[in-house]
Amino acid sequence: MSLSGKTALVIGAGGLGGPALLTLAAAGVGSLVLVEDDAVETSNLNRQPLFKEGDIGQRKAPAAAARLRALFPSVAVDARDLRFDVGNALALVEAADVVVDGSDNFATKFLANDAALRARKPLVHGGILRTTAQLLTVSPAGIGGCLRCLFEAPPPAGSVPSCAEAGVLGATAGFAGALMGAEALRLLAGERGAYEGRLYTYEARSARGRLVLVRKRAGCAACAGTQPLEATAPPACAAPTRDEGAA
Amino acid sequence: MNDERLERYARQLLVPGFGEAAQERLGRARVRVVGADAVASAGLVYLVQAGVGRLWIEDPEDVSPGDVTGWLFAPSAVGTPRVEAARAVLAPLSRFVSIEPYPTGGVPSATLVFASSAPQALASAEAARRAGIPHVVVEPDAEGGALVVVPPGAPCYACARSTTGVGRPAQPGIAALSALAAEELVLMISNPGSIPGRRIDLVRGVATARPTSRLAGCACGGAPAASAS
Amino acid sequence: MSASAPPRVDVRAYACPMTYVKARIALERLAAGERLEIWLAAGEPVENLPRSAAEDGHRVVAVEPLAGAPGAFRVILEKGAGAAPEWP
Repeated sequence: MSLSGKTALVIGAGGLGGPALLTLAAAGVGSLVLVEDDAVETSNLNRQPLFKEGDIGQRKAPAAAARLRALFPSVAVDARDLRFDVGNALALVEAADVVVDGSDNFATKFLANDAALRARKPLVHGGILRTTAQLLTVSPAGIGGCLRCLFEAPPPAGSVPSCAEAGVLGATAGFAGALMGAEALRLLAGERGAYEGRLYTYEARSARGRLVLVRKRAGCAACAGTQPLEATAPPACAAPTRDEGAA
Repeated sequence: MNDERLERYARQLLVPGFGEAAQERLGRARVRVVGADAVASAGLVYLVQAGVGRLWIEDPEDVSPGDVTGWLFAPSAVGTPRVEAARAVLAPLSRFVSIEPYPTGGVPSATLVFASSAPQALASAEAARRAGIPHVVVEPDAEGGALVVVPPGAPCYACARSTTGVGRPAQPGIAALSALAAEELVLMISNPGSIPGRRIDLVRGVATARPTSRLAGCACGGAPAASAS
Repeated sequence: MSASAPPRVDVRAYACPMTYVKARIALERLAAGERLEIWLAAGEPVENLPRSAAEDGHRVVAVEPLAGAPGAFRVILEKGAGAAPEWP
C-alpha cells in the first residue's frame, strides 16, 4: 500500500511532534492523527514550527491542524484536543500504522511505549534536552529493546528538572523531530528503521552522534505486551531527564 | 533584553552557555540565505524562531510544484516569487525578525547556502569567506546529504565540499538536514568560536561529523587580502 | 564572595520558565563563588528553581520563607565554577 493509504499517530504537536508532522505530511502520508492537549504559549515559539504569534493562547490541536491543512490539502488531519492517556491510548495506537512519540514527559513516553507494544505497532520515540537529541525505534517484531528495557520505569516525580525550565535549542528539536518523521516513513515503507534496537543520541555543540545497541531485557513485560497501562495525568510540568523529554 | 523577548526566547536562554549575550548577538545578526526552495524551508523557519535580527532571502525563482513538499509553500503559492511567498509565511512567526529580499549591496554577518547549482554554492561561500563571516553550505542528497560548516578562518567550502557531483532529489526527511544547518549557523552566530570548521554527513538518519582540513594550496589558507596590494 | 549583601532578583510576579530565566541572567553577571538572592512565589517556582540551579552546577545555599511576605520564598544561590556564562 502506498503512503497515501497509511495512518500515522503523532503524540504532541510541539517541538518534536511539529517537525515530525510536517515531514510526514510532506511525504504524502494519507492520514495524520495528532493528539495534543496544550495551548500555544509565547515560550513555545522559539521551536515549534506549526505555530505563529497569532496562535498564542489558542489550542494547539486545531492550530496545528489548520497549518497542516493549509500546506498539505490532500492530507487528512484528525486533530484531537486531548491528553494521550490510559483511557484512549490503546484505541489511538491500534488505529495507526505507526506511532510517533513527541510528548514532553516521561509518563506519556512510557504509556506510548507500553500501548504500542501491546497493540504490536511500531513506535518512534524521541526526546530533546538542552542540546542533545535522542531517538529510539521500538518494533514489536524486532529483536531490539524498548524504553522499559532501557530504563525499566519512569523516574519518580520531583527527582528531575521541570520541563518548563529545561533549555532547548529550537533547531535541535527540529532536527530530532524531522528525523523522527523520516524514521516513521521508513517503517511505513516496510524498511528496517535506522534506530530499531539502537538508541541514537546527537549532541549539537560537539556534533557527536552515538548509536547504542538496546537489547530486549529478559522478562520485560512491555515487550511481552503485558505491561499494565498507567495513567499519565502528570502535573503540568513533569519529568524529563537522562537526555529525555522537554519537547 | 525586555520581558517580551526573555519570554519568547526563555527556553533557549536556559540552555547552559546560551545566555542573554548569545541571544543579543543573534538579534544583531544579518543573515543572508541563498535559496528558498523546499530544502531551505525548515532552515528558514528555525532561523526566524531562533531570533536572528534580519533575514535576507535571495532567490530569483518562483515557487515550483516541487517546492510544496517543504514547510512554507501551499499549492496556491505555486507560480509566485519564492521570496515573497516565504516572507508571507515567515513574518507572522515573529515580529522580532525583519524578513526582506537580499538587498543589493547588503553586508551580511552570516550566510546559509541552499544553492541550486555547484557554481552558485561556491560563489556564495567564497563571498562569505572573503567577508570573514560564518557560513554553512547545504548539499542535499535524498533524505540526507552534507553540511560544510565554516567559521571565520576555517578551511573553506571548496576544501570540504562533496566531489561526487549533485545529490539525488531531496525527499521530505531533508528537513532534518535543513534544521541542522540552521542550528550550526545559530551556534556560530550566538557563540563565536564555539564550534570548529566541520563537515557533517547525514546518511539514513545518522549524522557523522569530522573536522575539515585545508586542501594544499587553497586560497583560503593564503595571505590575507590586505597584503595583496 | 563579597562581604556586602548579595544582588537580589524579585521574580514573585513571574511563573516558570521566566523565574529561572531571570535568575540565570543575573547569575551570568556574577563570578563563580558569588551569591544571588532570589525572591520567589510558592508552588512551582520555588519547587523548580533550586533543582534547575543545582542541575546547572550552582550551589543552593538556602531556601526559606521570605520574612514579612507570606507565601513567598527566598532562595540563595552560589554561582558554580563549572557554570560558565559562555561556551569556550
